[in-house]
Amino acid sequence: MRIVVAHKWAADPQEAIVTSDGRIDQSRAQPCLSEYDAVAIALARGLADSVGAELVGLSVGGPEAASPLATKTALARGLDSILVLADQALASADSTTTAQALAAAVTELGDVALVLTGDCSIDRGARMTPAVLGGLLGWVTLTEVSALSLDRTSLTVERELEHGRQTLVLSPPAVLAVAAGAVEAPAPGMRDVLAAARKPVRQLALDQFDGDWGPLGQVQDRTLAPAPDRRGIVIATTDPTAAAAELIARLERDGLTWAGRP
Amino acid sequence: MPFHLTDEQEIMRAAVRQFAEAEVKPLAAVLDREHRPPLETIPKLADLGVLGMTIPPDYGGSGTDYLSFILALEELARVCATTAVMVEVHASLVATSILHFGDQAQKTRYLPELAAGRLIGAFALTEPGAGSDAAALTTRAEVDGDDFVLNGQKIFITNGGFAGVFLVLAKTSPEAGSKSISAFLVDRDRPGLSVGEPERKMGIRGSSTVSLLFDDLRVPRSALLGQLGQGFSIAMRSLDGGRTGIAAQALGIAQGAYEEAVAYAKQRVQFGQPIARLQAIQWLIADMATDLEAGRLLVYQAADLEDRGLPFSDVAAKAKLFCGPMASRVTHSALQILGGNGYTEAYPVERMCRDARITEIYEGTNEIQRLVIARAALR
Repeated sequence: MRIVVAHKWAADPQEAIVTSDGRIDQSRAQPCLSEYDAVAIALARGLADSVGAELVGLSVGGPEAASPLATKTALARGLDSILVLADQALASADSTTTAQALAAAVTELGDVALVLTGDCSIDRGARMTPAVLGGLLGWVTLTEVSALSLDRTSLTVERELEHGRQTLVLSPPAVLAVAAGAVEAPAPGMRDVLAAARKPVRQLALDQFDGDWGPLGQVQDRTLAPAPDRRGIVIATTDPTAAAAELIARLERDGLTWAGRP
Repeated sequence: MPFHLTDEQEIMRAAVRQFAEAEVKPLAAVLDREHRPPLETIPKLADLGVLGMTIPPDYGGSGTDYLSFILALEELARVCATTAVMVEVHASLVATSILHFGDQAQKTRYLPELAAGRLIGAFALTEPGAGSDAAALTTRAEVDGDDFVLNGQKIFITNGGFAGVFLVLAKTSPEAGSKSISAFLVDRDRPGLSVGEPERKMGIRGSSTVSLLFDDLRVPRSALLGQLGQGFSIAMRSLDGGRTGIAAQALGIAQGAYEEAVAYAKQRVQFGQPIARLQAIQWLIADMATDLEAGRLLVYQAADLEDRGLPFSDVAAKAKLFCGPMASRVTHSALQILGGNGYTEAYPVERMCRDARITEIYEGTNEIQRLVIARAALR
């Protein structure tokens, strides 16, 4: 039995800059493993260990997704092996195209009980790929997954929702998007980093799959940064108690904080 | 010379940065304020494999190259100089000395404990009358049957307040000169060892810096590290690698201050614009960035030479000689950019200024580094 974690090697949003015309420019940002995907890998590692499953990483993207830095970074997080489908045609692919490529790779891999993803990608943040992937595979798909357990026939999924904690029991296979705070994703240990170089990496080629991988599925990202909201409010008092009270009142009035609740 | 890190070095650096941001940075100001060492961080550093980076896997370490260890020190120092120097002394001065000069029994006994953080190491060389002139030390180790008996005093011993094992340099013959000095591994629980109160320091206030008193402290012959009379060369070899480590600490402190200054300059508005748009600030930032780049190349080159088994002593001295004063310059420029805010404890830059200064002093002052460099140049 295999558990797959689909992860993305994408531009680090911490390194994006906002240009003078308000556009978010990621062209000089170094790529990294999404922090959300690291959470999915950490949760999946625990699940795979509990049932003796093989944990396989699956990365779809442009040529840099197959770079040794990309694969070793993901493997150091605890994956047993990694499968990469890297092609220039997938470099700026939209959610549908990405999901099609992921579905093709999952089918090629075989014996997959679960596909886990991060909460969202760090570059697009569309939260669409898991749903499209589940639809293409014909598998149950759930988002906001905070905990998992698996036995031979059933999968128990917990989801933290606004109105409470939901527990669902279903039969695998399934596609599960893991909530951002589901588990802690600690930094990989130094030994894990060195061990990553010895783990298997298998590359797939896009032309081995049927499908239209043309430019229709490409996205040109022109994200504008939110306009700064500086109101220039000055609390004009020398009494710190009064100043603090007015600050709290203003924050409450704007819905940024509230009183009376923990 | 372009310097490219390997994939593994890049990933380790990112891993230590993630750890440092989450586990080390939140404690930095607390350690400084309370003058206490980061004892709670030691098991976490061991789990991450940082305490054992200089120790091979056969002895329970993670067995990375030295440059990876240097990157880890830089990342730790970027947020907390105290934590960085604790690791540097433990993993570089002590663990590396045992690895290079210890016999099989010493390696088997100490290295797994050091890698796991169950023992922390301290390096006991400096004495009231033997600082830069290390060979002038007067602590004696006299043969008595199958034992050595140690008497004397050490000062400024980093990690001394909680270390489980001390690498102690002592004279084993009355003659003057480096051949009269031997190295010993002294367990903390040996009768005759007294540990003084921690020093109150200008910077790295969380680092435990203590004096040691040896009063008829008896150790078995098996505590001798290396050969009789080899102690001074063991100390000098350890300090060669240690210089790169302290240079990395200085580099990390400077990097942390630089990032604080850049972030502040972008958001601080004066004269109707962020101060980053003012040429006076831009020039400071440019000089800081240039200093950092130059220092980084020296530090990485020294570590890389050591990894490749090439002579590195003078390059390590150059790295330390450059990076210590560089860290002082960069942290002071950062404070200047932050202005009055930088002078307060609300920002970490004043702490970084205080922390940077020691990197020009310990593990060889600037003046001693010049001596090492000049000797190599005039050989």
